[in-house]
Amino acid sequence: MFSWLRRQKRDEKVNGRYRHGNEHLIEAREVVKVYENAAGKFTALRGVSLQVNPHEFVAVVGKSGCGKSTLVNMITGIDRPTSGDILVGDTAVHTLNEGQLAQWRGRNVGVIFQFFQLLPTLTVAENVMLPMDFCNMYAPRERRDRALYLLEQVEMAEHADKLPSATSGGQQQRVAIARALANDPPILLADEPTGNLDSKTAESIFRLFMDLVQQGKTIVMVTHDRDLTRQVTRAVVMADGEIVDEIVNQSVTPTTVFEPEEVR
Amino acid sequence: MLNPRWRKVIRDLWGNKTRTLLVVMSIAVGVFAVGVIVSTQILLSTDLSASYLATTPSSAILSVSPFDDDLVETVRRMPGVLEAEGHHSMNVRLLVGPNEWRTLNLDAIQKFDDQRLNRLAPVSGAWPPPNKTVLIERASLGLTNAKVGDTVTVELTDGRQLGLKIVGTAHDLNKPPAAFTGQPYGYINYDTMEWLGFGRLHDELRLLVENGTDKKAVEEAAKGVSQKIEKGGRSVFFTWIPTPGKHPPDDAVQPMLLILGVLGTLSLFLSGFLVINTISALLMQQTRQIGIMKAVGAQTRQIMGLYLGMVVIFSLLALLVAIPLGALGAFAFVGYLANLINFDIQGWRIPLPSLLLQIGVGLVVPLAASLWPILSGARVTVREALNSTGIGERHFGHSWVDRLVESVRGFSRPTLISLRNTFRRKARLGLTLFTLTLGGAVFIAVLSVHASLMNTLDDFFAYWRYDIGLNFSRAYRTEQITREALSVPGVVGAETFAFARASHVHADGKEARPVTVLGVPPDTQIIQPKLLRGRWLLPDDENAIVVNATVLDPENDPDIHLGDEVTFKIEGRDTTWRVVGVVQAVLQGPLMYAPRSYMERVTNNVGRAGFVQIVTEQHSLAYQTQMAESLKQHFKDAGMNVSGTETIASIRQQIEYQFNILVVFLAFMAVLLAVVGGLGLMGTMSINVLERTREIGVMRAIGASDGSVLRIFLVEGVFVGMLSWGLGALAALPISQVLSQAVGMAFLRAPLSYEFSTQGALLWLGLVLVLASGASLLPSWHAARLTVRDVLAYE
Repeated sequence: MFSWLRRQKRDEKVNGRYRHGNEHLIEAREVVKVYENAAGKFTALRGVSLQVNPHEFVAVVGKSGCGKSTLVNMITGIDRPTSGDILVGDTAVHTLNEGQLAQWRGRNVGVIFQFFQLLPTLTVAENVMLPMDFCNMYAPRERRDRALYLLEQVEMAEHADKLPSATSGGQQQRVAIARALANDPPILLADEPTGNLDSKTAESIFRLFMDLVQQGKTIVMVTHDRDLTRQVTRAVVMADGEIVDEIVNQSVTPTTVFEPEEVR
Repeated sequence: MLNPRWRKVIRDLWGNKTRTLLVVMSIAVGVFAVGVIVSTQILLSTDLSASYLATTPSSAILSVSPFDDDLVETVRRMPGVLEAEGHHSMNVRLLVGPNEWRTLNLDAIQKFDDQRLNRLAPVSGAWPPPNKTVLIERASLGLTNAKVGDTVTVELTDGRQLGLKIVGTAHDLNKPPAAFTGQPYGYINYDTMEWLGFGRLHDELRLLVENGTDKKAVEEAAKGVSQKIEKGGRSVFFTWIPTPGKHPPDDAVQPMLLILGVLGTLSLFLSGFLVINTISALLMQQTRQIGIMKAVGAQTRQIMGLYLGMVVIFSLLALLVAIPLGALGAFAFVGYLANLINFDIQGWRIPLPSLLLQIGVGLVVPLAASLWPILSGARVTVREALNSTGIGERHFGHSWVDRLVESVRGFSRPTLISLRNTFRRKARLGLTLFTLTLGGAVFIAVLSVHASLMNTLDDFFAYWRYDIGLNFSRAYRTEQITREALSVPGVVGAETFAFARASHVHADGKEARPVTVLGVPPDTQIIQPKLLRGRWLLPDDENAIVVNATVLDPENDPDIHLGDEVTFKIEGRDTTWRVVGVVQAVLQGPLMYAPRSYMERVTNNVGRAGFVQIVTEQHSLAYQTQMAESLKQHFKDAGMNVSGTETIASIRQQIEYQFNILVVFLAFMAVLLAVVGGLGLMGTMSINVLERTREIGVMRAIGASDGSVLRIFLVEGVFVGMLSWGLGALAALPISQVLSQAVGMAFLRAPLSYEFSTQGALLWLGLVLVLASGASLLPSWHAARLTVRDVLAYE
């Protein structure tokens, strides 16, 4: 059933540069992030360490400005730590340059934003095909079929040829999830994916994430909704740039049904 | 099937048609300008050269005292001479209207069907012309006020009037274009020449020599022929050696094309600025999209490829528009020039080098211009891109310019917004201003060139202060000429001059090109030259000579200097002169002035003159024309034959016509530059509206009416226009001086009497205000139509 989840190819230049032999899929080690602007220095992360194992569904919660989005941005390589290491699979993310990061991210991490961030001039299906196009994954002939398949998974296949502006917010977020899955990454990182949605739609999106974890994906999700923390494997609570608490839900444990996927 | 990324490019282009159109137009204008100029240059050089060479132009033309075919045969047999042909050229007066005469230059051709040199081609009617008929040069037929089949009246130097039937037209590429000279040309056979009273002898010897492309070789050969003729007892009055292989008007056309080429390249360069502005704005607007693409795996080079591809599409669309339009423009331009110069274009085509150049510059300039904005835009990190607000608050308030603008008070709040908005994107403002300023500066400079040309013309007529010039069929006593002239009512002054052609004899015996010497009374009231060095003629002077600055040009005669004793050959005799002064040359070639009394002795014409300059009470063309006829009749009644008249007003009209041709070409390029400037402003205003969509929404939400929003953007556009006008007027000062100098040297071989055109500056102010309002109107209207809901939906 999940044969399409198999990896297509390995890019030695991007992956496996740094074999740390870590048992965790994601590991942040003593990450510090300091921003400087005209008003002075601001420390967003103060020596944060975090480990995420395969098939975990981790929620990073906290108030606005606590550093949760910054932490996720470090993992996706969207931002770089001032000090500390970010290790994802065999890759030391913080050592990659921008070009390598883009390729690595495109193949290994699916990013989901609060405001969906679909390209307005591309149709729903084309938005999903875009990461395959950029990362040269899958044969060009197969890309549309795969996009349609993914859209079917998120119940958006019937809207495949619409422009994003012709769909609702919840539908756009489903498309964004399909796009995040385009290159079959083992990890999904979502920054407030339900923050811009009504509670009913948010609930359906959350269910989708749960399904994906069931299918073998590892998800790290930033949210300010504390209610969601009860439904994930583990919740990491942040305040003032530090992890202040961790809640592990015994009832929701990482699935062992599927073989853990490798990070390419 | 296209990749999604290329579909994005296509849809971005299609989605913003105004922007696409503006960029395409901007590139197209530059490519069009280059295409027109380069194609014109190529078509002119190939077609004009081919047509000219097809006439077998003479290597040299000698003006000789009357001679027959024996001399032609002798010369033809001389070593180094490939061909020789005898001709006769004469001037008669042609009646072109009631009491209106024009000089008709007649060329007698011995064998119309066996012309060897400077060949005339039949165009219409009879060929060869029967006896007592004339063929008229096709381009000058209009000047005769007659048509083929008409019989025109010509007046000979002895006053006889005869009828000549125009039996057809011919094409003569070796005559100066009638459009420039204002003189009709006719062709007759030798029987007709004899009937007109000019005999059957030749007075012009045309030569074709070996190594005819080498001017030195031609000079040597012509000198040999000249010596041979003089040894035979005949006089050689002067020798004219045209530049080998070059049609004479080429000297004027090539510099003009060069100046136009510079302006065309400038417009291409400026269109590159518009591309920079638009692409920068596009990338800024799509920063978030770039971030998203990078977040899903796009690399910097892929993003760059995407936007460079977009630029290539802009370029290709521009080429699609510019190449055919450029070809049409070039064809119209060459057609106009062909009509002026009187030659035929050999078919409509786009010259391959021009096509390749257009494609090259049309692709390279926009790509080069957009490379930096694309590189810097594509290098944005995902975080920077996703944090980008798209609103430029960080762009205003920090620099001293911002503080200066901020300190402006006393205007309404919307006007202050317009004023401050102008300076928000300084780089964009800079490029827009540069384009519009340069467009304006060149526009004002072109009008300044026009003003300078007219100023030069005024100087010319201040130099020559007469109204009518009369030529007599033979020399009469000067005292009699002056007395009779002054007795005609309306005449307030009359002076006669002596005239000769003088060749500088160098130490090695070689003769320079002949120069006209005018023998003038030292206290002349007619000639008022501006003295540059030395002194003017004094009443006691004998062999003193004053030269104009052109005589001293290195290309004319580098061996003449102030204070030199110089030997001139006049009327076949060597005479020694001392150069005592140098005067300014205005619209004239080399010219020298000597005391009239001494000149009369040198030319064996003491107390006699062949022409007179008249000053009349009034100076209009109509008055001068009427007075010329009255004077001619008066002299005729007094038994003196007038062979030709000229009025200063008609000369002025003719020169102004030639100047205006030049100004029209320059103005064409100035208008192109102004269009590029206008497109630039329109592009900038569209970008500003797009970037400030959210702000417009905010203004709308707090109560701004359609009119207020429209006014804010309109005032901003007009403000940019005003600013560019001030800068353009300043920049026009040096540019107009350089352009005037270049035009003067290229066409008149002397700098123009420079004048800055204040009228031009004011006209540009009016135009730039219209242009700025027009360019801002569409974007402002779009801005005013945005609703708060539109703005919230804006991404």
